[in-house]
Amino acid sequence: MENIPAVSGNKLLVINAEFIKLTIYNDVSNSANTSVYTFSSAYQEETIDGQVYTPLGGLLAVGVQQRDLRTTSADTSITLSGIDGNNIYAALGTKIKGSKIEITRGFYNNNYVLANTAHRFTGIVTSYNIGEDLQLIEDTDNFTVTVNASSFKSVLENRIAGRKTNPASWQVFNSTDSSMNNIYSISDQNFDFGKAPLKKASTNSAAAQESQITNESTQTSGY
Amino acid sequence: MSGLQTIINASNGLLIDRRKVVGIQYTRNEIPRVSQTPTKNPWKFTLDVPNSFRYSEGRALMEALDTLDRTTPQVVTFSNLAAFNWMFSYQGAMTSGQLATIAVTSWTGNTLTLNVSGITAASTAVIFQPNDLIQIGSSNQYPYPFTSTTQVLRGSGSTVVVTTSRPNILTGTLTGLGIIVGNNCQFRMFCPNMPTYKLTVGGYVGNGTTTTNNALLEFSDSFELYEWVGAA
Repeated sequence: MENIPAVSGNKLLVINAEFIKLTIYNDVSNSANTSVYTFSSAYQEETIDGQVYTPLGGLLAVGVQQRDLRTTSADTSITLSGIDGNNIYAALGTKIKGSKIEITRGFYNNNYVLANTAHRFTGIVTSYNIGEDLQLIEDTDNFTVTVNASSFKSVLENRIAGRKTNPASWQVFNSTDSSMNNIYSISDQNFDFGKAPLKKASTNSAAAQESQITNESTQTSGY
Repeated sequence: MSGLQTIINASNGLLIDRRKVVGIQYTRNEIPRVSQTPTKNPWKFTLDVPNSFRYSEGRALMEALDTLDRTTPQVVTFSNLAAFNWMFSYQGAMTSGQLATIAVTSWTGNTLTLNVSGITAASTAVIFQPNDLIQIGSSNQYPYPFTSTTQVLRGSGSTVVVTTSRPNILTGTLTGLGIIVGNNCQFRMFCPNMPTYKLTVGGYVGNGTTTTNNALLEFSDSFELYEWVGAA
């Protein structure tokens, strides 16, 4: 369990700020090609794990993060100031969907010096929303960017994984794997085991294989 | 007339809000539990302005306020008028010459360390009293003042430590810079609610023979000034 001295021992006063790191992958084939945006509710720049979090990043609100003893797949949201043009650009001009979101909580001592940090959430951006609140009578027009994120667990739950039943797929991890080498012989055929195939093969190689199987089947029935 | 400074000079009521952003919960056995977000903790002033401006004398003011609108900050002070000199006056015992020798050593969190080796005074001499305004740098360099929360004595060392009312929100290199105190401090403020004004017939100006049509300015609300800390 993560030990956070700043909140241990029933502290009556906790001084804390939220730190958000948004990693946008610009190129799906190159995981090193990223753009990183940081936001925080702190009063000054803070460096956590080598990453500088700017206090002027436009962070307006951080949604609730579900706290459970067991790993859960709760979602959260982050609201950013849309007045900062960079934030609207981050939503519209980049590949923000699928980006990695990391939320860290920083704890300060009574002298406003960052003392501890605790990781709270890691997830992937699933959607975003840009809202405008135009009040003509009050002469105000505010934009907000809301980014919704699912936790990694939720992403993994929805992931479709597995291997295809063909040699290429099986040889991705082991190029000498021959498990599927003969799979084409039964391609497109409906097997009723113990009887001859009901449908003819659609390829020459499969036909050759089929002929061999039929012969074997005939010989077997002759015994 | 210069907009917000004129409003300050004419105000007859000032509400100061330096409250921090906190969350408070009371447990079922009535134990309060508090969390705080360490923000830049801006100054917030609410100024009440009487309907004392004649339209004929306030047109420059109206234009200045309309130009500032709710978007533009202005550097203001509370020492322009003798009527306000008492409000943020320096309470310590240092002379202006002694204060001019003070330089910043470091400022981390709310702990400001000042080099006072240039001050020759008794160890019990008071450098700052609680609520003394302090500003870093020269006049317009960092118009984001803060206060000393405790009494600071000269002591015997070359440095003194000041516990400041808010943490260091300044982004520049501060080491070696001087300080400004009391009435010399300035605030960079903007007015997010910038009141509108109504003209009410009155305020006639007469020369003994004829009177000139005029009106009194009535502002729709108090002026809520908010510190422009984004540029600190």
